[in-house]
Parts: sequence; structure tokens; C-alpha cells
Amino acid sequence: MATTIASLNITSTDLLSDSLSLTAIATLTNAGSATGVTQTTGLARKKSEATSLYILYDRSALSMPAASAHKIYIKNLSTTAAEFVTITIAGEELGRLYAGDWCFFPWSAHDDANDISITPSVSSALTIEHMLFFES
Amino acid sequence: MATATITLSSDIQSDNLAFTKDKILYKAGTEQPLDQTTGLNKIIFTATTNIVLLDSSAAGVGKAAKVYIANKSTDASEYVVITINAQVVGRLYAGDWMFIPWSQSDAAGNIELAPSVATALPVEYMTIHEGLTPVSA
Repeated sequence: MATTIASLNITSTDLLSDSLSLTAIATLTNAGSATGVTQTTGLARKKSEATSLYILYDRSALSMPAASAHKIYIKNLSTTAAEFVTITIAGEELGRLYAGDWCFFPWSAHDDANDISITPSVSSALTIEHMLFFES
Repeated sequence: MATATITLSSDIQSDNLAFTKDKILYKAGTEQPLDQTTGLNKIIFTATTNIVLLDSSAAGVGKAAKVYIANKSTDASEYVVITINAQVVGRLYAGDWMFIPWSQSDAAGNIELAPSVATALPVEYMTIHEGLTPVSA
């Protein structure tokens, strides 16, 4: 069985008076089962040079079941603090990934309009990395 | 300051994947660290009602807040549906976690959660942010 593990650590010694050290480890499985996810787009890079909306994951172009346990990773590789990409799901704004920020979240892919898109804040070169893990 | 680190490993492909990325969590467009947090919350849900987990705040609009949510159930079939402003993001199954930026695009940009079962489903969540608008008494 394929094994994919996503681990998160959030640490801080000064955010609170009690040091923060949070760890979460997820083995990525198909929805409602212990079987590991078996498909991925691979780790990809996209370089934008406009503030246009870019579709990263086009739901209608992907053969995958709806309402499952797909997962998405996105990282903004910019090193300029002011530069961000806005992430949207079917047009609804999720949030802004500023320089160096990353995110990891489930994707329901529940209908053909449920695309994952980004809109860069600058028209100069801005690169992101992204990856999708999905079940068949 | 707080640092968030992700490690991803996988043997799905013939070239195994393994990388780690960390990031100090900064305020929007700056290198000033986020300095406020809700702390780590834990709720055991006993109904399948869709609830507002995090209420969008005017002080957070367009900012760089980060949200962590984890389904702490150990029953593989149990999940929570995560929604933002009525748009379903995805399902967190038992053991799954998510870490996202939350720009609270408008007053309706709440993060909502609906458990799949009414039988004691534990969820942990936390926001690290740069300001919330206090609710008047």
C-alpha cells in the first residue's frame, strides 16, 4: 500500500507565556478507509507574470470522485515580504499566502466549478509550488 | 514568533517524495511576526449541526491569519466538512489536519464545520492572527 504522511509542527517560545509545540501527523488515506491514497500530480512549479486568475486544479479536467479525501499543498516561493497569492475555491477567497507561506488543506472537488485558483499580487515573476494527492 | 513546519513524504511515485518546509508566521506584507492567538481549542461535537468555528472579523480582513484544524477522531469513517462562506473546502477525515491562510475576505467569510456523526467527535483548532474585532456586549 502506498504510504503518504503529512506532518505539521507549530512552535513558538514567545507567542504565549507557555511554549507552544504542536504536532499533527496524518497518513493520507482514501475517504473513510485505511487504504492510502494512490495518485498525485507530483510536485509542480508555476511561474506567473501577471495578476490574472490562474486555475491550479481544474475540477472538470480531473478524473476523481467528489466529496473524498483529496489534499492540496501550495507554497509561495517569493522572498519579497509584500508579495502574495490569493487562493480561491470556486471563487470564494480562502486566504493570502505571503512570501514563504505554505498551506495544506482538504479538497472536496464536489462539482465542476470547484476549481482551486490563485491570483498573484504582482505582475513581476512570482513562483509557487503545488501538489495534489487524490484518490481514484 | 511562531514557526509552522510541514513535512511531506510519500512512496506513491517511483521517485519517493520527501521534503520539509518551515516558515515564520508574519503579519501581512511585513517581517513582523504574528503576535496573537486564540490558543489551541478542543471541542467534542455531539451533533451534526453546521457551526461557525471561526467568526470572520473586520480587523482580520486582508490580513495574514493562519488557521489550524484537526479531526482527532480515530474512526476512519468519521469526518468534518469545512466550509468558508458557504463554499465547501473539503472533508477532514479521522486524523487529518489542515493549515491555511485566512484573509476573512468579508463579514461572511466565516470558517464553518459540520461533523458527520453525532457521537462525540473531537476537533482541535487554533488561529494565529494579527487582530480580531471585539464583539460588543
